[in-house]
Amino acid sequence: MPNQPSSYFAPGSGTPAAPRWSPHVRAVVSVLVALHVVALLVGPLSVPDSIIGRFLGRFYRPYIEAAYLNHGYKFFGPDPGPSHMVRYELELADGGSLKGVFPDREEHRPRLLYHRHFMLSEFIMGLSSAGDPRLPWEKQPLSEGQRVYSRSYAQHLLEKHQATRVTLYFVEHLLPSPEEVLGGMKLDDQRLYRTRKLGTYTPDDFDDTVAAARDAEERQ
Amino acid sequence: MNLVRGYLSELRRAAVAEWNRFWFTPADPVTLALIRILAGAMLLYTHLVWTLGLTDFFGDHSWVSAEAAALAHGTGDATSYVWSYHWLLRSPAALWTAHIAGLVVFAMLTLGLFSRVTSVLAYLVAVSYVNRVPGALFGLDQINCMLAMYLMIGPSGAAWSLDRLLAARKGRGRLPPAEPSTSANLAIRLMQLQMCVIYFFAGLGKLHGESWWGGDAIWGAVANLEYQSLDMTWLASWPLTVAVITQVTVYWELFFCALVWPRLLRPLVLSLAIPLHLGIAVCMGMITFGLVMLIGCVSFVPPWLVRRLFSGVSSAGEDEQSAKGNEGLRKRGSRDAGKVASGKIRVES
Repeated sequence: MPNQPSSYFAPGSGTPAAPRWSPHVRAVVSVLVALHVVALLVGPLSVPDSIIGRFLGRFYRPYIEAAYLNHGYKFFGPDPGPSHMVRYELELADGGSLKGVFPDREEHRPRLLYHRHFMLSEFIMGLSSAGDPRLPWEKQPLSEGQRVYSRSYAQHLLEKHQATRVTLYFVEHLLPSPEEVLGGMKLDDQRLYRTRKLGTYTPDDFDDTVAAARDAEERQ
Repeated sequence: MNLVRGYLSELRRAAVAEWNRFWFTPADPVTLALIRILAGAMLLYTHLVWTLGLTDFFGDHSWVSAEAAALAHGTGDATSYVWSYHWLLRSPAALWTAHIAGLVVFAMLTLGLFSRVTSVLAYLVAVSYVNRVPGALFGLDQINCMLAMYLMIGPSGAAWSLDRLLAARKGRGRLPPAEPSTSANLAIRLMQLQMCVIYFFAGLGKLHGESWWGGDAIWGAVANLEYQSLDMTWLASWPLTVAVITQVTVYWELFFCALVWPRLLRPLVLSLAIPLHLGIAVCMGMITFGLVMLIGCVSFVPPWLVRRLFSGVSSAGEDEQSAKGNEGLRKRGSRDAGKVASGKIRVES
């Protein structure tokens, strides 16, 4: 076998090769590398919010946004929680109706496409505000972010299906405990689901002319 | 006082020498080439899947409207540095043309054709896609773009590429040696460092949660029907096993950044990445995410091991020439190291 290694790290003597770049080039690259390494920390230090993250973000925001480095990397953290879906009911132009949900294992294939739709429904959950502790989950008001995303999903569905009305529902699928599963509960037990309405939308809600006329009417 | 001054002086010299060794030692580009092939294939697959929902996600009436995208980027009332050429594509024809061009770029990168150019284009294409549809993204996209970013820096087409075959044809059939390269080392080091950052903060983020600390977080993944692709609910009878897997995951992620560097620990640390990420892939249906994390971990595999594992891919001649190149550099390195030790030359930062 050529190039037989004498150690794990490197073949031969293990003595590292000398740098080829001139000291000036190395100095410039070193500064850039150091700046970049700090940039790698800004996103994770900012999610959730921290004083250092905020401080560094003032200088680094252009770079980390432009380079797509603005991530917290909190995969499956802080806790794996319930999953979320969006159910929709469409009234079609021909008088018919259509019901659906995203994500949908049957409709969204392959798995990566399913995950894209899954993230759409999960994202709307991530936009939740603190909410009103006096109200049950089903009656919590939508945050501004949830309102914007509900409108976005509604507009997409109305246009895609040429529908006259769409109603969106947010479905939360709670996790059963190990004890409940050992007691015979299935993961799709209906008691684990709860639903809350996101809104009802018509094409007029997205027509600037109609919206302006409606605003003017309300003002009068 | 002299003792402190001497210590600080020694510390500075050692730090500068170690910094130079870490970042600027020329390396065989074969690890980078392997990552180019794997990451290029993942980028190609990721974007091929976008084809199935191209107009749904990137068309005029996308799932994510312009207003929704601006809100997700948090740039509603501030200057935005988030960019995507998708905002310029006004017609279905333009969208499809750009999409096919993007797929061609990823295919060329995977094959190593005009790698220096296609690696830059691949990064621009990948970031354009993700910035257009915030809300439809997950960890896969972050790692895809990270790998694409660092592939721009090094000569990823210097080995196992069509570029190399074309160079061989120009040289009348003789394959030129894959020269050790400083920028290849720089790219690999940046990948390694970012993988450390990712794992560290993934571990740290889990400590915010009660279930990771308490030991039942893995149950939360197992009992989630929407993620599930393999029924593992039998783990309900094995709470201690769940707790061990949960805690090993957290501690492995937290200490990866320290334990992956000692040469004897590295194989052990990396071998734990395989069940962790394949577990995510197989049990939670996140095959692409599991695989792309493993591709990131490939950056820790030394070039000689890559060559040995894939000895059938490269010719013996290529191996020998590469070994000769490494040997020459090592000899020079030994001489320079000797000079540094005897104070004949000074290592500059």
